[in-house]
Amino acid sequence: MFKILKQVSDYAKDTFQAAKYIGEGLAVTFDHMGRRPVTVQYPYEKLIPSERFRGRIHFEFDKCIACEVCVRVCPINLPVVDWEFNKQIKKKELKHYSIDFGVCIFCGNCVEYCPTNCLSMTEEYELATYDRHELNYDSVALGRLPYKVTEDPMVTPLRELGYLPKGVIEPHDVPVGSQRSGKRPEELISE
Amino acid sequence: MNAGIDLRSSFIETLQDLGLPLGVSQAFWIPLPSILMIIGATVGVLVVVWLERKISAAAQQRIGPEFAGPLGVLQPVADGMKLVFKEDVVPAKADPWLFTLGPVLVVLPVFLSYLIIPFGQNLVITDLNVGIFLWISLSSIAPIGLLMSGYSSNNKYSLLGGLRAAAQSISYEIPLALAVLAIVMMSNSMSTIDIVHQQSGYGILGWNIWRQPVGFIIFWISALAECERLPFDLPEAEEELVAGYQTEYAGMKFGLFYVGSYVNLVLSALVFAILYLGGWEFPIPLDKLANWLGISETEAWLQIVTAALGVTMTILKAYFLIFIAILLRWTVPRVRIDQLLNLGWKFLLPVSLANLLITAALKLAFPVAFGG
Repeated sequence: MFKILKQVSDYAKDTFQAAKYIGEGLAVTFDHMGRRPVTVQYPYEKLIPSERFRGRIHFEFDKCIACEVCVRVCPINLPVVDWEFNKQIKKKELKHYSIDFGVCIFCGNCVEYCPTNCLSMTEEYELATYDRHELNYDSVALGRLPYKVTEDPMVTPLRELGYLPKGVIEPHDVPVGSQRSGKRPEELISE
Repeated sequence: MNAGIDLRSSFIETLQDLGLPLGVSQAFWIPLPSILMIIGATVGVLVVVWLERKISAAAQQRIGPEFAGPLGVLQPVADGMKLVFKEDVVPAKADPWLFTLGPVLVVLPVFLSYLIIPFGQNLVITDLNVGIFLWISLSSIAPIGLLMSGYSSNNKYSLLGGLRAAAQSISYEIPLALAVLAIVMMSNSMSTIDIVHQQSGYGILGWNIWRQPVGFIIFWISALAECERLPFDLPEAEEELVAGYQTEYAGMKFGLFYVGSYVNLVLSALVFAILYLGGWEFPIPLDKLANWLGISETEAWLQIVTAALGVTMTILKAYFLIFIAILLRWTVPRVRIDQLLNLGWKFLLPVSLANLLITAALKLAFPVAFGG
């Protein structure tokens, strides 16, 4: 008799606890409703990519010595280096160079190992096309520089979290002219 | 209690003054309330879909729809138009008859239930004496449609979803009916008008929510389960069942399910408002206030103001409940099927039975407060 009473009271206690937790959860959800949206309204607002951003690869045709290091360090031997040995000047002559960004994983090994620094990472990430073959960039396409987000009049550039001033976590309400937290490189050098 | 505005008789009288015979003017009136109610319900769905998207966005710190019309109010219309113009696909091995009949059977009873929703003293399509019972019985037709569409889709996810929907509806019908029964017992009537009248006179203090503190929670949980709202949206749990019984549906047939679920939500909120929140009653008793201010009850402008206030109050209460449902959606995680059935049979059913018995006892003990 007492055992069943205890069971009932335990069950009732559990029920009240569950109701309390649901109430607390509702308070959290309700509190979130009053906060500002944190989303970046993409085509109109864009985040500024960080300086280490690994975007589409840029290639300078004239610097390339056709050593094929980029091919060897690439996990899938992706870059296509088309060269011919010129007997008069006893040098390799680069004819074509291409990287297929539909296959590239943007690991940056080629950029890291290129002996003449003719490869570099850009901050371009909008690579959508209607046909995957359009992603196979030749040396001309690889030589184009992307449009900077900060210079696009259609776009409101927003800073990423690490580039916001101290105490600010929302890129929308950054005070004008404020600096990121910590010291700038030139300040560190002068110290 | 005065009769309030009688739109029907004044409409018929106006037509008769224009020279039409009595029968013709009555025939003109017949389709009007139903058409008005269907339009109202559909517009209500559009508003709820917009609210759902906006409130969900706010709860997740997003913006939500904002480009279709001011603040994105036309987004549900755009969604609807898209569904209307989509190809109506029937899977190759599906049963075409059952497949078509399923969504119709789900939507029709929900719209039919609007028959008994009063927005004011005379602002109701029919004041049936079995009013609230009609709603309960109509809501048990929907699982047949769900089962039908799940079975005819020839898809294991659809079938599982349909079976879950049927199991869920049947389990939660009983506590829902028992919670309503306690109210009916206190009101001595199943008519929705009488239920509201029984709560009137004392403003917010007279509402059933104070006399049925357990009942209204049971009713709200069961109503959410009946509507397949989020803590109980097992029949269409997308992580497990793709989209449940809706998996094979596209175009307008899917649109019917979509409209049906939201109309059902609005309907449940309205019924909750009528049963527990005093229907069209204002939180302060208006007729007492008018007497106190020395305004006659039969004054025309007062009647118009009270009628308009009544409609507004009903809708406001319903949308407040919908807001709570949406907030709950982003707060409470989905229950498992065994938890769902446990909650229904082992918790809600005994508690609602006890609630019914206690209500009966209180009615015998304090007939003044509990409607003797």
